[in-house]
Order: sequence, then structure tokens, then C-alpha cells
Amino acid sequence: MAKDIEISTSEAQFILEALKQNGRLDGRSFDQFRDVEISFGREYGDVTVKMGNTKVQCRISCQIAQPYEDRPFEGLFLISTESSPMAGPQFENGNNTGEDEVLCARIIEKAVRRSGALDVEGLCIVAGSKCWAVRADVHFLDCDGGFIDASCVAVMTALLHFKKPDISVLGDRVTVHPVDEREPVSLGILHIPICVTFSFFNPQDTEENIKGDSNSEIAIIDATLKEELLRDGTLTVTLNKNREVVQVSKAGGLPMDALSLMENCHKAYTITERLTEQILDVIKKDDAERNKYATLLSSENARET
Amino acid sequence: MSTLIFPGDQLNIDSEQPTTLGPGLYFDPVTQEIGPTNAGVEVIANTKRGQTVYVDYDSKRYIPAVGDYVIGIIVGQFSDSYKVSLSSFSSSVTLSYMAFPNASKKNKPTLKVGDLVYARVCAAEKELEAEIECLDSTTGQDAGFGLLEGGIVIDVTLGFARHLLFDKDFPLLKILSSFTQFEVAIGVNGKIWVKCEEVKNTLACYRSIIDCQKTSVSEYKNTIKSHFKNIVDAAGGK
Amino acid sequence: MTTIKVSTGVLTNVDGSSQFECRDTKVLCAVTGPVEPKARQELPTRLALEVVVRPAKGVPNTREKLMEDRLRAVLTPLIVCSKYPRQLCQITCQILEAGEDEGEFSQKELSCCINAAFLALIDAQLALHSFSSSVSLAVLKESGELVLNPTGDLLKVSLSAHTLALELTDGSKKVANVLLLDSNGDFTDAQLLKVLQVGEQGCLEQAQFMRNFLAAKITDEIVRTKVNDNGN
Repeated sequence: MAKDIEISTSEAQFILEALKQNGRLDGRSFDQFRDVEISFGREYGDVTVKMGNTKVQCRISCQIAQPYEDRPFEGLFLISTESSPMAGPQFENGNNTGEDEVLCARIIEKAVRRSGALDVEGLCIVAGSKCWAVRADVHFLDCDGGFIDASCVAVMTALLHFKKPDISVLGDRVTVHPVDEREPVSLGILHIPICVTFSFFNPQDTEENIKGDSNSEIAIIDATLKEELLRDGTLTVTLNKNREVVQVSKAGGLPMDALSLMENCHKAYTITERLTEQILDVIKKDDAERNKYATLLSSENARET
Repeated sequence: MSTLIFPGDQLNIDSEQPTTLGPGLYFDPVTQEIGPTNAGVEVIANTKRGQTVYVDYDSKRYIPAVGDYVIGIIVGQFSDSYKVSLSSFSSSVTLSYMAFPNASKKNKPTLKVGDLVYARVCAAEKELEAEIECLDSTTGQDAGFGLLEGGIVIDVTLGFARHLLFDKDFPLLKILSSFTQFEVAIGVNGKIWVKCEEVKNTLACYRSIIDCQKTSVSEYKNTIKSHFKNIVDAAGGK
Repeated sequence: MTTIKVSTGVLTNVDGSSQFECRDTKVLCAVTGPVEPKARQELPTRLALEVVVRPAKGVPNTREKLMEDRLRAVLTPLIVCSKYPRQLCQITCQILEAGEDEGEFSQKELSCCINAAFLALIDAQLALHSFSSSVSLAVLKESGELVLNPTGDLLKVSLSAHTLALELTDGSKKVANVLLLDSNGDFTDAQLLKVLQVGEQGCLEQAQFMRNFLAAKITDEIVRTKVNDNGN
């Protein structure tokens, strides 16, 4: 991404020099993830995530479709990440063939869809003929780095927040009940993967495969756009609260050794834990807000058990 | 007196007097009418030869105008000129090898791609590529233009950059100078270049200027103070 | 007047941006320009416009293309295109909440896109000829009642739906031109005239609201950067 933003040599040198002296432009420490702001729209499954100046919106929608022939018991789940010049003029409309765009889309796809975060078997209505097709549209609104991390939070929060209309099946006849007729139902979420991206800088020109004491490489978490433009390597690890590594993606760039990979995973875990808690918390709060009157309106039969 | 004006509004000028049009105004060649094209403050100034009218507005994208001091990045090099970018994604401008002090056919400037340069816009026609120069074209002498070495560039809105450059009472630089020594160059294309002896002071300047854009003038002192305090604290904690 | 919510300067990486919310429809718009165009976009004497409309859900298709075309038709006469020859302006509208059945209608989204794009152009400070304002209207099936800025539910029970965009001058109080009148469904001459009449009133009121918002924003900016003589 962002190949056309011009950065002067002085600026690049300064950012590196500042990193060497333990400083980042925005005043964060190397391991500090930006504060994540999550807000909801009017409908279920409409989530906007803000991290600094980065802004991503995710919108979940669903419709009834036919399942794949080789997977008759599974529903469909699609994540669409398309960039537009809204996030910055460096993005071209409808052109998602750039290396970074493809990488971003693939990592989100791997982290959320292929890790089985959404229970696709629960989307099956009538085996082999009808199922729910769930679609997540990720809109990049403003770009200041960290698209992968922000998108992942947005998609997961939106999936947790979304409710699909209730259905009843009578033989081959499927009835979809409108939302005002029957309470819509949540999707089955099996775990919440969280992506954390590390960026590596090598202030010296020598590349080392075995990192000795002389190694002066710098690793920072959650780079901003300028840092992303200047970095020499990147690593995205996806973890969940259960301490499971969902995926590790490191496409080229500076080589890294096993020890620092382990170390980075540990750092990422504390962030994962905190973010998971935050997501569940905002979902709970929003739910309470939406169902303010639920307890007043609900009527239950007093039944002896 | 300042009136806010929007596109399509009527100007409050005396139509009898000869009028000079500044930025934010458009003379329609078909209807022969003058109208504002931007949302901002209508400023009318009386001069010897009549009146000058313009709309004062703030924006983010720079459009070259003759006489402006600008900061650019060298993005290309040709046999007799450099290609310079004044803001990302805009059309680039030309900086001729001859537009340097003491330039001759043999004495060529030694700027490289990626270098920062402080210059003056010397030609700007909307149909053509604009040109900039690194000398005082009236005397042919050095006038403080040229390569900016090291330091950092801060992107600000054009209005803010104009405040910094033209408003003599604008306190930001004065307050900054009470905390650290620094070199500064202000380009009205919304770029401010700052360089201090020490990296941490430059960092504090960078953060101060960015934050001051969003706060009111009376808050500048506190904002800047807190940034310099943070720098000292960070160094102490290490 | 219908409650609308506007904000400008909401995005950092583009030259101008705005968010426009009218009832249950919400649109975000970004404007970048004038910038260097690609060779195939360049026009020798005027500013080229790249208009993009992106739906809230799903991939953009012919519906969005049609909206882009309408939006371009409205914006082209508004912008002083001759001031920026061989340049490009990118206008991107992202619909955040459609507020109507996307399979059947696009009137509300289109009117919000027009308003959002206009405000984003003002925010980007591109040269404009005049002010503009747009509303959507619907004539209801049963009662024949004309509703200004209908909700998505009312659209469903409407006989005809309309989008109106006007060009305004002289303190945004005078209608200079009809930029767009897009009507769908069954309607009579009399109804269309009524639509124009009510729509004009709605546009004028909305324009004053937008002016007040912009004025407050500019005043704010002036107050903030005003140097206080005894302060420092």
C-alpha cells in the first residue's frame, strides 16, 4: 500500500534515528498498541473501529443461498476487503491487485474464516439445498497503518454483534421470520482471533540471520502509516484468548530467529487478552442498551418445574 | 470587518471602483460577473488603485502561486532540471539547475532524489507545470533557499502555515524557542521543517506543532510544556 | 425540518471529507484534488472527476454505477472545472447506512451522496460556482400524501419516489437551477409540481442549516487561531 506517498530522506533518517533513541513520532513506546475505539451503527452487525487515525468499518449481511456441493452441511461465509481512494489517494478504486492489498485480504481471510471463528455448520438450513450465506464487507475509511489489526477487530466484533432473522423449517419449506415478529438470533462464534502486527527496522545495513549481541534491529507494535512505509520487515501473529496461535504471517523482509518470534507472541498475547475483553465488554454494553425494555416487556409463564 | 461568504453569494464590494481579485474569487467570462468560489471570510482592502478583494479560507491541498515560499521533495532528476513534489499526489513542479545562486553551465547543483529543498515559486500558470527557484531572482544572489539537511517535516493545513509565516504575533515559535534551540523553515504548501541539535527535542517540537493545530492559542504554552516534560521524563525513565 | 446531522473534516488522509446523515441514511464522502490524473483520465482544458459510490453491503454493481453517473451530472456544473485544467478530483462516497431497501430504491442514498459530496468539496476548498442542496421525496400510496425525506418504511408504501437537487445562489436563498430531478413510479403532472414546490422549500431550509454549520466551523477556526494580545 501507499507506494506513492513521498517521504524525504531526511524524514526517513530522522524516524530511524528517533527509533534508535527509543522514540516514536506519536510518543508511544515500542510495545504500545493504539487505543481501540469500537462503535456500533443502527443495525446489527455494523461496527466501526478506530485506532488513532485509522478507521475501518465492517458490515455483516446475510441471505439464503445454496451450499457448495461438496460441503452440503456448511453455510457460506465471505469476507470482502476492497480499498477505495477514501482511505487515501494512494489506493485505487477497484484495484486490489497490489501486493499489500492482497496480503491484507489474505491475512484477514486466514485469521477469521479459515481459523473457523464462525461456526459455518450452524448456518446450514436444509442440508444440500439451503443455507445462510454470511457476508462481511470491510470498508477502509481512513488509513494510518494497522489495517490488518483493525480489520480483524472490526470483523470479529461485527460477527459477534450481528443477528440473523429466525427461521423455521417444515419439511422443505423454510419460513424466514421478520425481525419484528421473532427475536433474531446471533451467529455461532467459536473463538475470537486477534491480529497483532510487528514492524522491524534495521538501522544498520547488515542483515544477520543469527542475531548476536551486535544486532541492533528494532521491533515495534502497531506501526503508523509513516512507520509502515519505512519498515524493513513485518510479522503478523494471530492469537486467541485460549493461547492458541491461529496463524503467523511473515512475508519476506528481515529474517528473524525463533527466540524473538516467541517473545513477540508473548507480547501479542497480552494485547489479545485485553482486546478480547474489550470486544466482549462493548458487545455486552450495546446489548444492554438495545434491550433496555426487554425485561419489562417479556412475559414468561410461571411454571412449576 | 469580516463577513463569512459561500459559493454563489453576492460580494459586498463597491462595483464602481476598479477591483483586484485575489484567491477564492472567479470572474465568469460569459456572464462577466464576479463571485466567490470558496467558503471563508471575505476580505476587502482599499488600495491606492481601488480595492482588493479575496476570500480567506483554510485547506489542505496546495496550488502553486507566484511568490510563495515552499518546501518540496526532489522526486526526479533531468539533464537540466529537477522534478520536485510540493505535496503528495499533486502534479510535480520544475526546479531548473540555473535557478541556484552562482549557477553556470559547469557549476551544477548537487541535490539528490529524496532531498528536501526550500524554494520560491517563480512561475505558476494553471495550464503549465509550475516552476520554483532557489535564489532571489531580482539580484541573482543566495536568499536563504536551498537544501534542508536532516530534521523532520510536519504536515499542517495551509492556513496554519500562513499564520506561522506571516502573523508576526503568532506565539507558537516564540514559545517553542523558550524550550529549545531550533532551525525552522515554513512552506506555505503546508509543510514545516524543524531541526534541533538533539533528536528528542525535535520530537517534542514535532508533537507540539501537531497538537497546537487543534488547540487554541492560549493553550499553546501548556501543550508545548507537557510535550517537553514528557521527553525529559522518558529520558529519565530509561 | 427533517433532522439531519452533518460533520466535515472527519478523515485525515484526504483533502476534504464529510459525513451526512438524514433520518436512517448515512453517507461518508471523501474528496481529493486537484491531483495529477492518470493519462487516460486527463482532460486538456478542464478538471476530470472520478466519482465512486460504494454500497453499504455487497459489491458495487449497476445500481451504484447509475448513482455515480447522477452524482457526476450534479457536481460537474457546480465545480469551476476550467480553473484546474489537466487535473483530477477524486470523489468517493461510502454509504454507511442505506436506510432503504437497496433492491428497489436509491433515492435517499443518492440525495445524501449529493449533500455529502457537496460538503466534502467545500471542505476540500475546490472552487465552486454556487451552493447546492438535495432532498428525497415520496408520494404515499393510500393517502397520496407527499413526504419530504421519507423513511425506508414509507418508501415501501409509496407510489412514486423522487430525488431533487438544486443549485442555490444569493446567500443560498435563490434557486438558480434544477441540477437533478429523478423520479420513479407513477405520478401526475400536478404531483410532480407539488414535489418541486415542497422539495424547493426543503432544499432551501436544509441549505441554511448547512451554511450555519459551516459558518460555525469557520468562526471556530478563527477564534482558535486568534492571537490574544494580553494572553502571551
